[in-house]
Amino acid sequence: MAAYPKSHNPFAEDDDEEQAGPRRGFNFDDEEDEERKLSPAERRQRQLEQEVMRTAKSAVDSSNRSLGLIYESEKVGTETAEELIRQGEVLKRTERMVDNMEQDMRTSQRHINSIKSVWGGLVNYFKGKPEPRPPQKEPPTAYQANSRLQTALTESKDQEGKYEASHPNLRKLDTSGFGASASFDNEPSSQNGYPKNKQLRAAHQQLDNNLDEMSLGLSRLKNLGLGLQAEIDDQDVSLDSLLNKVDSMDGKISSTNRQIKNLK
Amino acid sequence: MDNSGKEKEAMQLMAEADKKVKSSGSFLGGMFGGNHKVEDACEMYARAANMFKMAKNWSAAGNAFCQAARLHMQMQNKLDAATSFVDAGNAYKKADPQEAINCLNAAIDIYTDMGRFTIAAKHHMTIAEVYESELVDIEKAIAHYEQAADYYKGEESNSSANKCLLKVGFYCAQLEQYPKAIEIFEQVATSTMDNPLLKYNAKEYFWKASLCHFIVDELNAKLAIEKYESMFPAFSDSRECKLLKKLLEAHEEQNSEAFTEAVKEFDSISRLDQWQTTMLLRIKKTIQGDGGDLK
Repeated sequence: MAAYPKSHNPFAEDDDEEQAGPRRGFNFDDEEDEERKLSPAERRQRQLEQEVMRTAKSAVDSSNRSLGLIYESEKVGTETAEELIRQGEVLKRTERMVDNMEQDMRTSQRHINSIKSVWGGLVNYFKGKPEPRPPQKEPPTAYQANSRLQTALTESKDQEGKYEASHPNLRKLDTSGFGASASFDNEPSSQNGYPKNKQLRAAHQQLDNNLDEMSLGLSRLKNLGLGLQAEIDDQDVSLDSLLNKVDSMDGKISSTNRQIKNLK
Repeated sequence: MDNSGKEKEAMQLMAEADKKVKSSGSFLGGMFGGNHKVEDACEMYARAANMFKMAKNWSAAGNAFCQAARLHMQMQNKLDAATSFVDAGNAYKKADPQEAINCLNAAIDIYTDMGRFTIAAKHHMTIAEVYESELVDIEKAIAHYEQAADYYKGEESNSSANKCLLKVGFYCAQLEQYPKAIEIFEQVATSTMDNPLLKYNAKEYFWKASLCHFIVDELNAKLAIEKYESMFPAFSDSRECKLLKKLLEAHEEQNSEAFTEAVKEFDSISRLDQWQTTMLLRIKKTIQGDGGDLK
């Protein structure tokens, strides 16, 4: 069906409408009279072309939507990350405060011991100062989020370049060779994957661009997810230790209360 | 739940507490453990306030809490006073925002006196939120957010500080104080771009800073974008950067349709929020001296 190169002229008008055709869907009445000139094969061809255009367009639309969704997820992820880090800072600060409280509790325990009895006071003297840790173990350092990902990130960026070069589909295809000749023999040639019809080519190009962006977005999302997971794991550990400290603190406080009541 | 009954009970308690306070002022009361009485009175005020809360009589509750707080101050119980002031502020929030702000300010003074800056910062944020939503006084809201950010920075809570700073930036830009907004956005962006988790949002802040630059002057915007790209290469891959370049072109050619077209294209994939749309409209106005057609 390589067809009708000689019949360009009589069908010159058809060519233009051919391009406009896909936008209108099936051919309408204004082409009725010309349909007689078309053989069933050509009609079939036109239908198939329109079908192809429609599919391409819907593919582009759906890829646009996916791209939008990916960006939305990224936004949600980043906001979560910020909140998570803020929470981590709060946890660290809480832990510091609980440590301070523990220090204070020890001091008060010593005082109570000395108040209870003279013997207690002597015992205190011999016990010596209870490891006088400096009131603040270290000056509050800026919160460092989990940085394991930094190296992983730079690595994966390098890999990406190499991967793209090797994979045939990802190489940017050279489309400069295609003329804008939307002639009748615009069967999709399968040699380079890009059809010669101008509109179809544009749609496919758009699709390719979108897919590229989607893959970038997805890789970013993946890294973000991994980072969030690492951060949450760290905070989990932090929470557990905090829980233990607070529990023991609770016990100490109630025993101190009891002692003080007994002193009365 | 018998609310009106609770209210009556609460009023009774208040009256009793008032009497106690007065009686402790007298010489005799002072002799026989005046402090005891004042403490009791405090407790009664607090209970009365809780009952008012149950009865949803917010201003009476706030009032009761304030009384309790003042008594605590008298007894030099700073911490208790501060907590009572905060309770009062919360109760007043629903009834009388101005009073709420007064109470919260008093609480903040006590906390900063004691050196508890983090809590003070948190309350500054609460006050700023009240100014944002109920009293709508953006200038004061900005001032409080700034103060909160400073305190947070002092306590090395950088994420919380950034959160406050961003709000300051938003409102400054809305009030057309662009240099300040630009500085804030740049600062936040540079501090987040190194952090592996936060860097995904750094491009967002650069984008906002560029928008502000754009409103001020187009050349500024161009220089700024180049600077950001060299600082943070990922910015140049982002769609925001591509949009900015298209907008710069459209602006140079004074072509407002291309401008609208580019914005629409961006919007079709990821929506622009209210603030960004406002900024873009302002930029568009500078393209054509007159209003410009609505999108």
